[in-house]
Amino acid sequence: MADLTVNGVRLHVQRLGAGARVAVFVHGLVMDNLSSFYFTLATPAAAHRAVRLFDLRGHGLSERPAGGYAVADFVADLAALVDAESPDAPVDVIGNSFGGLIALAFAHAHPARVASLVLIDAHDGTAGWAAQMAATLGLQGQARDEKIAASFQAWLGRHSERKRTRLADHARALVEGTTLVADLEASPPLDLARLATIAAPALLLYGEHSDVRDRGAALAAALPAATLEVVAGCTHSILWEATALVRDRVVAWLEAR
Amino acid sequence: MTLDPATAAILATVERLVIEVAGDEITLAGPLTLATSFNADLELESIEFVALAEKLQAHYGAQVDFVGWISTKQLDEIIALTVGDLVTFIAART
Repeated sequence: MADLTVNGVRLHVQRLGAGARVAVFVHGLVMDNLSSFYFTLATPAAAHRAVRLFDLRGHGLSERPAGGYAVADFVADLAALVDAESPDAPVDVIGNSFGGLIALAFAHAHPARVASLVLIDAHDGTAGWAAQMAATLGLQGQARDEKIAASFQAWLGRHSERKRTRLADHARALVEGTTLVADLEASPPLDLARLATIAAPALLLYGEHSDVRDRGAALAAALPAATLEVVAGCTHSILWEATALVRDRVVAWLEAR
Repeated sequence: MTLDPATAAILATVERLVIEVAGDEITLAGPLTLATSFNADLELESIEFVALAEKLQAHYGAQVDFVGWISTKQLDEIIALTVGDLVTFIAART
């Protein structure tokens, strides 16, 4: 298995395409992993960039350390991966949901390392985000499982009962067996006013019926070079609900710069 | 059904790599056949499918562009993939 050890943690990495310009894809929280991008955007994007997919720490086939799950830890992993995969040139960063928050926080911390941003129904990490997330993941027993299942319904809908169970087991191990929830809750919120330092162009894709749609509007106003598109009929899971549209937008975005 | 030796060899390789990715218990219900579905029968998780693709690429080399082949398919087609589809694909390129 292709992997890369960063900050003492072994991360599962998939590399597609070639060339000097690199695009890094960052997936969502807990139930997600790099396969979401692998089966949707990676190959078409690889016609235009050297594509790098990776499983976040604790997710997919990456190592699951007991601790180190603050937003800053995920950003540090991304920064180390970017340093290893594209030491000389800034990269395009594409993030989905929580992955979009990591991409945003990375761009805020390392603006010179980012050529462009694509945020797919991203959380913005402003005050209240962590509490909302922790309230979901911090539930106990059946209430928690039901809430996780509801939050990831579109995703889980594609899976059989046995796979649902295995994914839920994985989620439980991450939520209950690590400091993930406490670390995210303790992560300082992002200050939208300070995002004005991110000069890189940003494409924002949000679902019309997404629970974080208002975050898209707030980010579009806060980022100096943002383009916002609200995708009709979609919820938070637009990567699954409008795969072709998201793919077309991302490919056109990469092709145009 | 008796398979020709080339097909049987590819099937054996695919089975070995599937077990490497997903563990022995994946074949508890019986050995892989050409009719075995990756999703409905093996219940391979999507991340395991990614790992399988990588192992296939490492085993057969660049002429078996598994990722490129997958990328031409719709998600519903990927979900419906059988071991036979994969063996046919590999046989045509080796």
